Amino acid sequence: MGLSGFDHHDRAGSGALDAAAALRRQAPQRLRAALGSRPVAAVRSFVVVLGVWWGLSLWNANPIQLPAPPAVFAALANVASDGELLENAMISTGRLALSLVIAVAMAVPLGFWMGMSRRAHAYIDPVVEMLRPISGIAWIPLALFIFGVGDTLPVFIMTYVAFFPLLLNTIAGVRGVSRRLVQAAETMGVSRAAIVRRVIMPAALPSIVVGFRLAFAGAWAAIVAAELIGAPSGLGFAIEWYRQLLMTPKIFAYIMAIGFVGYVCDQLLQGLQRRLTPWTDRSRG
Amino acid sequence: MANSLAPSPSIGLRSVPLTIWRAIALPLLLLVAWQLWAMGLPADTRAPSPAKVLAGFVRLTLAGDLPLALIQSIGRVVAGFLIALVLGLSLGLAMGRIRWVRDGLEPIVESFRPIAPMAILPIAILFLGTGTPAALSIVAYAAFFPLLLNVMHGVSRVDPKLVLAARTMGVPPLRTFTHVILPAAMPSVLLGSRLAMGSAWTAIIAAELAVGAKAGGGTSGGIGQMMFVFYAYSIDLNGIVVCMIVVGVVALLIDRAFRGAERILVRGREAT
Repeated sequence: MGLSGFDHHDRAGSGALDAAAALRRQAPQRLRAALGSRPVAAVRSFVVVLGVWWGLSLWNANPIQLPAPPAVFAALANVASDGELLENAMISTGRLALSLVIAVAMAVPLGFWMGMSRRAHAYIDPVVEMLRPISGIAWIPLALFIFGVGDTLPVFIMTYVAFFPLLLNTIAGVRGVSRRLVQAAETMGVSRAAIVRRVIMPAALPSIVVGFRLAFAGAWAAIVAAELIGAPSGLGFAIEWYRQLLMTPKIFAYIMAIGFVGYVCDQLLQGLQRRLTPWTDRSRG
Repeated sequence: MANSLAPSPSIGLRSVPLTIWRAIALPLLLLVAWQLWAMGLPADTRAPSPAKVLAGFVRLTLAGDLPLALIQSIGRVVAGFLIALVLGLSLGLAMGRIRWVRDGLEPIVESFRPIAPMAILPIAILFLGTGTPAALSIVAYAAFFPLLLNVMHGVSRVDPKLVLAARTMGVPPLRTFTHVILPAAMPSVLLGSRLAMGSAWTAIIAAELAVGAKAGGGTSGGIGQMMFVFYAYSIDLNGIVVCMIVVGVVALLIDRAFRGAERILVRGREAT
């Protein structure tokens, strides 16, 4: 890779001239500005990717391994129009929502307790640190025994995965609350419940929201594995189902759907973060 | 923190044993409860118990199955990580330093990022079969994104004045790169490596497990495959728990090793 290229573009970007930049300036300024803008760059990139993909599929000449883009878009339209895609996506996001709710209901109160009481933290933290390195995926075989193939398994795995970032971020958030705020409230005779609700909760919320986004990201990565191995429905199951049928265009269609749903959920969570905690820097999450 | 009014239970010499006692109290209690629960079950039960798990660990280690599977999985993780490191470093550097490369590649990276590594597995199996290459590609895919994003972030935040200063003093580009840009981006590279290694280890277990689950099993090896064999063929729950604990311990060791490296390599820079 041309290291001098870095310097060149760095300088071109900061307005300095060199021979290559001068040459390119001969192109009409307005056209260059239009071609260089970010949305246009994105469209251009996707066109290039589609072109490369199409070329590779022609070269590979094996539609079971790598179908051409039109076949994939036809498959996408097919599964979207007969409602199958929507059904699987609803099942997966429903499981995701359920497990996030369970994880919040368990992790946030526990995190408040562990954050506020040193003693609780000293006793419980070792168990948390023992379980945390065991990834949710590694629970799948044991969970298959306990729950069997069905709805419970993915929900269990995702709850487990979502639990730890939520717990740790809640503890960190609660511990980060300024002691002076709490002491001031105590001095003024505010009740303990009111301190938790009115002082600690708002101060710890940004950290909890960050934990929630991390929990979502982990759970979304785990759902595909959990459904692929141990569920009779959902996006992950559909991918594996069509692999066994060797219907590759539909595999691609579902992979796109997984990416799309994950992206939309992340955007929604970012919006939620901005609304709940507008005073924090959103690039933190 | 808010509980600051509570008196600290002991001071001085007694506090050290107390903290250790507190740390092991709950895990010990859970282990004893688990063992007692298992002892209350009929003798031919398949339910795991701490004693049987320990026995299983010793048996699997002495038979050589566990070390072999572990070496296989770790080897795949390291190889996949190295592939991701080469790709992530080079692309991350290019995207961090060159505007148009970043503008061009970022939309593509962002659209692949929400696709879980496991979603790629069916495609990898179609292309590469159920052996090591498919597992490697999943690991590399999982490790690639944390590496790329952190390298890009680190490189794009290198103080331009440092680069300009080096150029003013006539330092050749390659030397600027190795002596200015890379050291300044080092903390991000290390952080990305730690996160990447964590996802890689999770991904290899998932890949081996799913390959075992869906391709009939017995061909790919590794610790995830071992768990699947315990699940589907020998129905050995104690073996599964042994594998889970080993997976956890390895994850912990990987994390600690990278944190240690971060401390050693970054500390010198933070101090100055």
